[in-house]
Amino acid sequence: MAENQEPRIGVFICHCGTNIAGSLDVNAVMEYARSLPNVVVADEYQYMCSTPGQNKIIDAEKDYDLTGVVVAACSPRLHEPTFRTATAEGGLNKFRFEMANIRDQNSWVHMHDWEGATEKAKDQVRIAVAKARLLEDLQPKSVPVEHAAMVVGAGVGGMQAALDLANAGIKTYLVEKDPTIGGRMSQLDKTFPTLDCSQCILTPKMVDAGRHPNIILETYTEVENVEGYIGNFDITLRKKARGTRDGAEMVAAGLEGSGCNGCGDCASVCPVIKPNPFEMGMAPRKAIYIYHPQVMPLQYTIDFDACVKCGLCKDICGTEKNAIDLEMTDSLEKVKVGCVILATGYDLIPIEDKTEWGYRRYENVITGLEFERLICASGPTGGHLIRPSDGETPMKVGFVLCAGSRDNTGGVGKPYCSRFCCMYSLKHAHQIMEKIPGAVPYLFYMDIRSFGKMYEEFYYRIQNEGAKFIRGRVAAIEEDPITKNLYVQTEDTLLGRPVNVECNLVVLAAAIQPKPDAERIRQMFGVSKSQDGWYLEAHPKLNPCGTTTAGIFLAGVCQGPKDIPDTVAQAEGAASAASIPIHQGEVQLEPYFAQCVEDLCAGCGMCVPQCPYGALSLIQKDDRQVMTVTEAKCKGCGTCGGFCPGGAIRMQHFTSPQICAQIDSFLLNPLGGEE
Amino acid sequence: MAVEKNYGNPELESRLKDTNYYTSDSNKDFSDRVRELSGTISHMCFQCGTCTGSCPSAPRSSYRIRKFMRRAVLGLEDEALTDPDLWLCTTCYSCSDRCPRDILPTDVIMAMRNLAFERDIVPRNFLKTVQLIYNTGHGVPNNDVNRAAREKLGLPRDPPTTHSYPEYIEGIQKIIDHYHLKENADRILAEGE
Repeated sequence: MAENQEPRIGVFICHCGTNIAGSLDVNAVMEYARSLPNVVVADEYQYMCSTPGQNKIIDAEKDYDLTGVVVAACSPRLHEPTFRTATAEGGLNKFRFEMANIRDQNSWVHMHDWEGATEKAKDQVRIAVAKARLLEDLQPKSVPVEHAAMVVGAGVGGMQAALDLANAGIKTYLVEKDPTIGGRMSQLDKTFPTLDCSQCILTPKMVDAGRHPNIILETYTEVENVEGYIGNFDITLRKKARGTRDGAEMVAAGLEGSGCNGCGDCASVCPVIKPNPFEMGMAPRKAIYIYHPQVMPLQYTIDFDACVKCGLCKDICGTEKNAIDLEMTDSLEKVKVGCVILATGYDLIPIEDKTEWGYRRYENVITGLEFERLICASGPTGGHLIRPSDGETPMKVGFVLCAGSRDNTGGVGKPYCSRFCCMYSLKHAHQIMEKIPGAVPYLFYMDIRSFGKMYEEFYYRIQNEGAKFIRGRVAAIEEDPITKNLYVQTEDTLLGRPVNVECNLVVLAAAIQPKPDAERIRQMFGVSKSQDGWYLEAHPKLNPCGTTTAGIFLAGVCQGPKDIPDTVAQAEGAASAASIPIHQGEVQLEPYFAQCVEDLCAGCGMCVPQCPYGALSLIQKDDRQVMTVTEAKCKGCGTCGGFCPGGAIRMQHFTSPQICAQIDSFLLNPLGGEE
Repeated sequence: MAVEKNYGNPELESRLKDTNYYTSDSNKDFSDRVRELSGTISHMCFQCGTCTGSCPSAPRSSYRIRKFMRRAVLGLEDEALTDPDLWLCTTCYSCSDRCPRDILPTDVIMAMRNLAFERDIVPRNFLKTVQLIYNTGHGVPNNDVNRAAREKLGLPRDPPTTHSYPEYIEGIQKIIDHYHLKENADRILAEGE
């Protein structure tokens, strides 16, 4: 269409069932739209997003030779892509579309103010039309996508995502900060409700991940820096000094010797003993160590904070293997990937801060994860559940559910449900009844939430096996200083009577929270967080794996509490979502990037540090400096455009004339002014 | 043969009423007034029982703070205000410290006590305490046994309160008079004679 053609705007009002039509007068808004300058057609429909609704747009574009389309409906987050597609089908550039959000921002908030909401809808439509008159054709930009992906965190979620990506033919970096992959799941003894041995079902996955030709396992490695954007992330990894080399690393370093084969001779001579974090500090490890027998990769790691560099390990390792290097330092590695999946997992809250439950104050109060290690056949006690104070077998074990979860108070209280504590406490109850004849578990609960497939049946089974259920949140735990037995104080709320149950051991089902370094990783990748610190998905229902940063996806508990099936399901979803742009080979970026009007640019460079995405730089052009935008990095936030002292930066799709027209149309018309 | 349903039998009806959820007894104004006076979100109580479990009174008495929270939510005014347990709270605030929903159950009890007082429902010992404070400035005035003990410990016979400075009793009386507390206490005690 001709450049100087008078704008011809079509306006479409959506009823959204009663979401909009139930709170305001749609017909009045339509009539009003018809009176606006340059509006050549105004229509309404029950569901504009439906096929007949979209056909109205397509037909009107042809019948009325429109230059711009306005839909007054729900939210651009939900339906802007739908209406843009319809606009394009009608023959217009898809950026000739503008949305007025008369549902989320109007009918939903002014539900009981018919007149007020109708007037506001008129304002919103008028403002949208004002902008639509100035809309321009824009062309999306395509960028190539690197045929590689990265998964941060190699627990069960990270491993699953990496395996799926690798099986789809994508080179995948699996980055894990610990010396072994496996994550929390490898610390568990059994898994509910099937009572599979956790390690037994996890180890094959660990082996698969370790051997897959498309997976590059980066254990004992942290993400140091992230640059770039979807399709082209340049990520710097810090490979922490491990102190040993495997065969491949020996070859790469040009050293003689076969490298670490995991024989463990080094650990047997190491004189330094430290607590093993894998065993929740309940078992020792040496300064040169592996976490547990099933580690992947089977390679020893030196804890250089503890190592005294006596060299005994190096001597026994010998020149044939020559695996140990006591002078090893961290090294940095740069990799380029198209998409990233974050799967950074969780920690237990510092439950000792809830002093009334006595964790770390009373020896026989432990957490669920400590119980897992104590009941596990490969754990520090060989699977014999003992109580820490005297090594006796506990016959009465109290399980405190909602220990910090569903708790609105400040400090360590977490308002959310941690989702798997009910089920693992049921499992723990089963395990003690199975392993210790005559042992009685007492479960102190507020609700039992057994929401999954076969979970309620598991609850039934444990109840039938003789576990005692007391409905009441534990108020306090006190210790008998002589016997070290614990008195669990609560109200049996179904009886309406306070009870004080003497237990030999108490297991706190502590709430979970994001890992301490989750915040640093989140900021590096530009991912938002929810109020509780969990990573924020793009949409809680319709985009639970994506984030608001293109190319970054989420899997597992880093996004919110989840059990193993849900984690694995989300990991598969995230892998599928991440593989789409990689397989497409290129992605289209919305053309909202800033543009430098070089005639106006003074080359002052003040915009460059303002940009939060590092998209701006100064270049030499015809004897002077001007600013230039790396369009693929620009998110169109407008920080530079608002800041530029010379007005030389133009924000596409949000130009100053467009925004001024919106403001004018809001202010001038109701005040009787003229445009 | 069909059994007569016996509707209209007052005895049966009162028994059937007992199986109700007491909605007919509920007084929404009571819930609102408790919330207003206590300044806490009693309607957010999810009945976990932490309050009763924390309560030093509960193992020794029939006082169940959780039940009073439920009464506040359901608006069971008569049941709450006529329950003598209302006066067994020691106001130690353990329940308020530990409540996972940030409610202050202690303040709910205090609000209910105020509402009970409006209806002249107060145990005699509380009213006698009012009289004692009015007359001596103390809920538990000093006595000779105490005085002897204090002397033995090397303390002055009377503590540095209205016992040592009786001229301040007048000020205390002014405050109590402002709220007609003594007046009401005297009246209720006299009516109970």
